Formats: sequence, C-alpha cells, structure tokens
Amino acid sequence: MAADTAKVENSFAKRLRNLLFSQEGILFIILVLVIVVLSGRNANFLSAANLLNQGRLMSEVGLVALPMTYIIITAGIDLSVGSILGLSAILLGVFWKNLGMPLELAIVLALVVGTVAGFVNGLFIVKLNVPPLIMTLATLAFYRGLAQGISEAKSVTGYPEWFYIFGQKSIMGLPTQLWFFIIATIISIIILRMTTLGRYLYAIGNNPVGARFSGLPVGRTLMIIYGYSGFMSALAAIIFVSRVTTTRSDMGTGLELDVIAAVVLGGTSIFGGKGGIVGTLIGLVLIQLLKNGLALSGITSDATTIVIGIVLILAILVNNFIQRRRDS
Amino acid sequence: MKNFSFRMFVSLSIVLLGLSFAQTWDGADDLPTNPLACGEGAGGGAVAMLDYNGGQATNAPDLAGQAINLIDVPKLVGIGYFAATTLGQEQAAEELGNVTVTTDAPTEANIDDQIAVIESYIASGNINGILFAANDPVAIAPVLRKALEQGIHVVGYDANSEPDAREWFVNQAEFNGIAKAMVDSLAKEKGEDAKFGIVTSTFTTPNQARWIAEMQAYQAACYPNMEWLETLEAQEDAVLSFNQANTLINKYGDDLDGIFGMTSVATPSSADAVTQAGLCGEVAVIGLATPNAMKPFVNDGCVQSVVLWNPIDLGYAATYVMRAVVDGTLNPGDSSVEAGRLGTLQVVNGSEILLGAPFIFTPENINDFDF
Repeated sequence: MAADTAKVENSFAKRLRNLLFSQEGILFIILVLVIVVLSGRNANFLSAANLLNQGRLMSEVGLVALPMTYIIITAGIDLSVGSILGLSAILLGVFWKNLGMPLELAIVLALVVGTVAGFVNGLFIVKLNVPPLIMTLATLAFYRGLAQGISEAKSVTGYPEWFYIFGQKSIMGLPTQLWFFIIATIISIIILRMTTLGRYLYAIGNNPVGARFSGLPVGRTLMIIYGYSGFMSALAAIIFVSRVTTTRSDMGTGLELDVIAAVVLGGTSIFGGKGGIVGTLIGLVLIQLLKNGLALSGITSDATTIVIGIVLILAILVNNFIQRRRDS
Repeated sequence: MKNFSFRMFVSLSIVLLGLSFAQTWDGADDLPTNPLACGEGAGGGAVAMLDYNGGQATNAPDLAGQAINLIDVPKLVGIGYFAATTLGQEQAAEELGNVTVTTDAPTEANIDDQIAVIESYIASGNINGILFAANDPVAIAPVLRKALEQGIHVVGYDANSEPDAREWFVNQAEFNGIAKAMVDSLAKEKGEDAKFGIVTSTFTTPNQARWIAEMQAYQAACYPNMEWLETLEAQEDAVLSFNQANTLINKYGDDLDGIFGMTSVATPSSADAVTQAGLCGEVAVIGLATPNAMKPFVNDGCVQSVVLWNPIDLGYAATYVMRAVVDGTLNPGDSSVEAGRLGTLQVVNGSEILLGAPFIFTPENINDFDF
C-alpha cells in the first residue's frame, strides 16, 4: 500500500518535472518572470483594462499564428500572410463601397478570397513542388501588388456602426476579437492533438518522403493548412479594418515577421516535426506583454525593439541549454 | 507542361492587370481643390470662418498654470524632419517652464505601430496631453477619441486626423500655398512649358495626395502648357526614392525637365540621382526637404529651390497651442492664439491653426539654417 503511494507520488513528481522542463514549461516560467518584473515598474501594467486592451491588439497576430504553427510543423513557411491580409482588407472595402454589395456579403467574399489566396500557395507548393519559402515570397509581393493596384491608391472609410463590433466592442466583458482568437485556439489545439490531420502534420514535418510512401494524403493536408492560413489572414483583416475604421493597401506589412517570431519562440521547430499551439500562445503573450510593459515603464519604442530582440535570443538559448541537459 | 504554361499565363495576366490599375494613379486625392491666383504675390485671400469642428477632452483635470506632461508621437523617429519638430517642442517647453515633452514613435512610418504606441501611453496613466502627426487620418482617430474620453488633451501637427478626434491641428502651410510655390519655382527655372515627373510617398499619405491635387489644379489654371509625365511612389525610403528618380530619368530622357520631390526623403534622393546622372541644370529638382539634407546639392548649383515651412517653428507652435488649451486661453470659436516668438497665429478651417506662408530655401539663404 505504502509502496503504491510512493510510486504514484514518484510518477507525479516525474510528470511535473517533465512538464516544467518542457519547452512550454520553461517559456511559461520566463513569462511569469517578465510579468513580475514589468508589473513592478508601472502600476497600470496588470490592470484589467490594460490587459484586455493588449488582448485586443494581440488577436490579429494570434489568429494568423495558429495556422502558421501548423505550417511550420510541416517544415513549411507562409510569408504571404501580411499581403493576404492587405488584399482581403482592400477587397472588403471595394466589394462594399465600389461594387455596392451588402457589407455582410463583402465580409464573406473577403474571407473566400483570403482562403483562395492561401489555396493558391498550397496548390503551387504541392502540384509544382515549389519550395514554400519561394512560393510565399513570390505571393508576398504578388498579393501586395494586387492590393495596391485594385485600391487605386484610395482608402475606404465610413463603415456602418455595427461593423465596429469586430474590432472595437466587447462581448461579455472580453474584446470581440479575443473571443474569435480563444475559440480558434481551442479548435486548433483539438485538431492538432486529437485528430488524424494533426498526426499527419507531424509525420509530414518529420519525414515528408516517408509520409508520402506510407500513403498519407500529403498534398491534400498541405492544401488544407495553407488555405486555413489564408482564411485566418482574411479574418484578421476584417478585425483590423473594424478596429482602425479604414482600409489601406499597406495594411499588414511585416505581419509575417511578428507571427513567425511568436511561433518560433513558442518552441515550434523551423525544421518541422516539433511544436504546438500552447507554445505559440505563450510566445505570443510574451512578446505582446514585453512590448506593452516596456512602453509603460517609459522605454521608447526603438529601445523596446532592441530589448525584445535580446529577450528572444536569451529565451531560445536558455531553452536549448536545458533541453540538451535533459536529453543527455 | 501545357497545364503549367497555362497557369503561368493566367498569373502573368493577373500581374499585368494589377499593374495597369496602378498605372492610372497620379498621386492626387479626389477632394475639391482651391488653387491660388497665378503669378507673384502671397495670395491666400479671405478665408471664410468656419464653425469649430474639433473634439473636446471630457472631464479633463484643471491644470491651468501647473506642470503638464506631454507625449509627442510623430509619424516616425530617426529622420531630420521630425528631429526638428522635436527640437521646437523642447525650445517651447524650456520657455514655458511648466511643460515636459517626450518624443516616442515607431522607427518606420507604420500606422499600426503608431496606434500601439499611443495606446501604451494612454494606459500608463501619467500623461496630460498628446501631440501627434498621423500616419493615417482615419485609422488614428479611434485611439485619439479614446484619449479625449479619458480627459487627455490632443493636438495634432504636420499630418491631421479626422477633426473630431483631436481638439486643434497646427497646419504648417495651406496646401494650395505649397502647391503654388512648387509649380511657380518650376516655371521660373525651366519655363512655362516644362515637362515634369513626381516622386512621392505612399498611396494614401494625406498631405502628399492633397499637395499633388492642388498642384494639378494650379498648373492647369496658370501653366496649361506644362506636361505632367508620371507620379511614382517611393514610401519614405531613400534607396527607393533614388531608384524611382532614376526610373523617371531613364524613361523620359531629354523630355524630362524637372522632378518634384514630395517628401523630405524623396527630394535629396532625386537630387542625388540627377547629380549622378550628370544632368545638373538639365533636370531641375524642386521639392520639400530640410535644408541640411539639401545643402550639398544647393551649394553645387544642382538645386535652386527647396520649398518648406520651418519644422522647428511647427513643433514650437504645437506645444504653445497645447499649453493654451490646458490653460483655457484657446477655446472653440477663438480666431487666434498667442505662440511665443511666432506672435499671433490665425485659426483657419474651423479648428486648425495656420503656421504661415511657405518658405523657399535658395542658394542665397540656405546656409543660414541648420536643421
């Protein structure tokens, strides 16, 4: 009896230690440290209003980071997300204002266009074997060019009041876009952990050739996740437009870097086969709170960029060090 | 393979379609224009007095005569122009004695980052006023309204927001005044039938689009024989501006008489491109820029006219306006405001304060300025 208890405790301690020293566990500890340090520097940092506001600002990057995690797990990359965001935003405005469609329909069509833009990436990567980096680098330029051409240099403004619910209002105390993000995160975790599609992603990332010869639907899986990435970029576009009340063709410029930084900081390996949504979530929150907390403690934004760069490098170094010790 | 070429064909045609859209763009916005009278003279004429159309800070604490803490959020930091506005703010703060002003902004002219910076300072809870130069007039409005709702005073300068999102805006120069100075300078240097191209900022930057629209209107009315070749977009990026100026030079060759630079980055880069092409004197460069950046080209004799207002005065005036708002000496409906060494400044367009007529730097006077 006593031996049994000891055994249970032992395995519990072991599991706790495993959790603590996992990639996510270490990141979480760093996150807590950062919060403690920053909250000491400005009383408003931990206020509900500030944190909710940060959640609002984080959601657009977050929504796109979910499919990006999938893509990076398959050893791929999607650099075109910022441009898809810009293209969907412009088309939302053009469909509604220039073509006179109802705004509801324009939203649906903008989401469709974003998804198709993602599918096109997937199509070329799968059917023509173009490396993801090259394909999405090309569409990064191509989709942005389309957005600028279609917009004819004009921004679209004057959206009806109800449309601002997505970007500026709250539902049950939480910013609307945070609800979108939370729901999308839960779905993405479930798919990655509990479905065959999720297992395929890791298999493709670990050994694409093996996956193909094992009869996995590699092509279809890749098409789905690049389409998912396009869809989420378009969803982020609608939220972004609602938040800033206007569309511009340069919206979302540089978004891909923020997204990839969060995913990679979250422990998803750029070589594929390793990583998860929880890590991405922690990486995302860590970067956002660092930006905000440093600004609140009176550090100017150019200095903040430097500090964030240093923290990113340190976090990855510490993590690598501990992972190596644990493995040996 | 057939399939592949078909796909390539389709994507290529989409690219070309996109390009043909971009081609129609002349850089002007579609708002009504108000060109000044042709020829010499300050122009301007009587400005109709409009009703106050700015916003108001709700329940702002009464800090008349007391120390206030301001945050200044220009479009970006790290360029000479906004370093000069910051200098002016510091001069005003020193004279007033009861104002602290800190400049913080993104290192690139990006509206999303600019919003995030302002959000952070509102959340920090220790500022009394925001001075801003907007990267986008509409996109910045929600966050500024939020500041007003929390009792923080908001005054813009250089690039406006929607009027109700701030209390006052310090207008560096009326758009038609700048347009007149630019086009008149070209006529003076290259004749009334000059052919010209433009290197401007981004697609939707409000100031540049407005100036170009006014230049179009003024040129059509006063110099109908001038020919507008092309407008190229170059962000506010030195390398891109240089390349775009080269594009104009190579594409139009001898036809090109002049290049207008619409930003403080595009003008020196265009002058550099003209110098390197060995076309000084052949191709005139006229534009908006800070004097220090233009001194080499002006002293070489390659550039004759640099059009601008004094950005130091602009930052200085914005700080005085903010102080007057907090002290309650500038209220909706007033027609002028006292601004230290600049004297009395006029209220125009309902809730804007006009800095004055544009200033043209020439080889004779440019060495008197250092910013």
